[in-house]
Amino acid sequence: MMSEFQRQHPASAISGAFALIRENFVTILIFLFLGVSNENLDFLWWISGGFIVLLLLGFGSWWRFEYKIENGELHIRRGLFVRKNLYLTKDRIQVIDITAGLVQRLFGLVKVDIQTAGSSSREASIEAVSLQRAKEINRLLRGETDSSDAGESEEISETIDKPQKIFTLPGKELLIAASTSGSFGIAFSILATVFSQAEPLLDESEMYDIIIGLLPAQNDLFTIIVMVVIFAAAAWLLSFISTLLSYGDFKLEVKPDEMVISRGIFEKKRLTIPYNRIQAVHISEGIIRQPLGYASVHIESAGYGDDKGTGSIVLFPLMKRDELLLFLNDILPDYQKLHEGVRPPARAARRYMIRASVVITAITAALYWLLSLNNWVWIIPALSVYWGWLRYRDAAAALSEDVLVIRSRQLAKNTAYIKRKRIQDATISQSWIQCFRNLCTVTVHVASGDQGKSFSVTDLEAAEGRFLLKELKGHGMSYGDLQDIPAPEFTVKLPGWPHSLIGSDQAAAN
Amino acid sequence: MKNTPFHKLTPRAIRVWQLGSAFGNLFLFAIPAVYAAIFGYQRFHFWILLSVIVLLLTYYILSIALIPYLSWKKWRYAIDENEIDLKRGVIIHRRTLIPLSRVQHVDTRQGPLLRWYNLASVTISTAATTHEIPALDEVIADRVRHKISTYARLAEDDV
Repeated sequence: MMSEFQRQHPASAISGAFALIRENFVTILIFLFLGVSNENLDFLWWISGGFIVLLLLGFGSWWRFEYKIENGELHIRRGLFVRKNLYLTKDRIQVIDITAGLVQRLFGLVKVDIQTAGSSSREASIEAVSLQRAKEINRLLRGETDSSDAGESEEISETIDKPQKIFTLPGKELLIAASTSGSFGIAFSILATVFSQAEPLLDESEMYDIIIGLLPAQNDLFTIIVMVVIFAAAAWLLSFISTLLSYGDFKLEVKPDEMVISRGIFEKKRLTIPYNRIQAVHISEGIIRQPLGYASVHIESAGYGDDKGTGSIVLFPLMKRDELLLFLNDILPDYQKLHEGVRPPARAARRYMIRASVVITAITAALYWLLSLNNWVWIIPALSVYWGWLRYRDAAAALSEDVLVIRSRQLAKNTAYIKRKRIQDATISQSWIQCFRNLCTVTVHVASGDQGKSFSVTDLEAAEGRFLLKELKGHGMSYGDLQDIPAPEFTVKLPGWPHSLIGSDQAAAN
Repeated sequence: MKNTPFHKLTPRAIRVWQLGSAFGNLFLFAIPAVYAAIFGYQRFHFWILLSVIVLLLTYYILSIALIPYLSWKKWRYAIDENEIDLKRGVIIHRRTLIPLSRVQHVDTRQGPLLRWYNLASVTISTAATTHEIPALDEVIADRVRHKISTYARLAEDDV
């Protein structure tokens, strides 16, 4: 029965329409405001017209989406305007995730996500089928293991595999994560877009007059400050709620050869990460979270991850810094954790501070002269110098038998653990000035999603950079200027978090 | 201790790059042209235009007379059974190692200009990045591609 082409449950038309709305949220908002501010178009017409178009698109994509399974191969025909034929063969399929979003739950359906290592598998998710049908798909594509691939475990993650460990996010941590989330900036910009679109209509409304009437009419500056504060508070609230909704009910299950992350309150997200797809682990200590002693743990995976196109996955949203090493030991025992590393030399500090502050200082100076601002504005360049110094202090690199550790700071402090055999390429680069000062920048790429992600350390001692490159070569083969470089002095211990497991880590390394 | 020799690109690369910049960088002069069309060339606009044109012209001449030669001089590549080693860069020297076990696929490419000079470039793709050895002789490019893919097959590993 599965070898005939099938359509999904019609409910997928609705979830397809929702997905469209989600993807084009900002555009739709802008359109709405344009429609509202346009006098000769009735608002209701505008809304209902848009809704009908969406439903038609949803219906069309549902009608055009057909799938069948034949001889262990999933064949999907889809595409409203561009016809696509996708073929996913059984032995290429790595993960099958069965989840239920909001729409699916309303109709008692599930969504089936099918992942291969290729990037086209993103399009091969079956949006809405009955649970029974999903189980059948799962059975046909993963169920009966042939003797040929008995080496790979192919259990259905639903039932057979008992997780070894389960980590959950306590409520207190969730609240802190939500209130310090980095999506603050994104929320702010969305608000700004909406507001700039909404302004003409606010101007005409009585609401605006009322709000303005409430404000003590001091001067423009005061109004601006109040506006900014209101804005910031609203943006913060938005990101607070969205983080709460998407990371509520967080659960990380560790299984023998994969990890399963499930999260979300209304919209359940579920991600399965086979260990052999993990390319790098990085720990990020955000600018607000670091003083509080918290960090978040991320993973780069070679399949697809949380966001489109990148393989970045939030492995754990928030954790106390002194629990990090124990946690990493629990889930990734095969990574060595403690390393001797090198830092940029003292003469690089000045370069870091200049790099961080030069543009900001120039802009500040220009504004200062042009707008005759008051002297407090010079705090900003001073802060940027301090930021440069922080970046200098946090930059470090270490290399051991099988792990490269790179620590650096953009705004958040990032510590990345990269398995040596996962490094796709390694580069040392020197600008003219760096040549002259005998410094260099070391960059490595790892695979992430269907593209790459780079980790780099700036302004290391040139000889140390060459030493790292030579070590990365391994094999004892070196030539030219990579020959006979003495091992550098290790000046820093990475990762530098508090820990109480040196003994056990040594044991794990052996 | 085995010594792997570094190879240079073919000297014909210089000529190709010169031609490439000569045509490709012409569009830069569209910037002052557009500016003049919008603001005219009276009073202080004249000085702005003059300085921009002088700067562009300097860059244009350098990009033909000097940069191709320098970047050819700096380019080196070496391939052995473990990794590909690329050195390049005029203003920023770069040296990149690509482990052969990480190479996903190797292609040769040939635009019309390269074909005219019987040259080809070799692109090496890993799961994260794409690197290019530009402007090799057709025959050598084929040989390089073949060598890399043979080694890469030997060094077969997971992603």
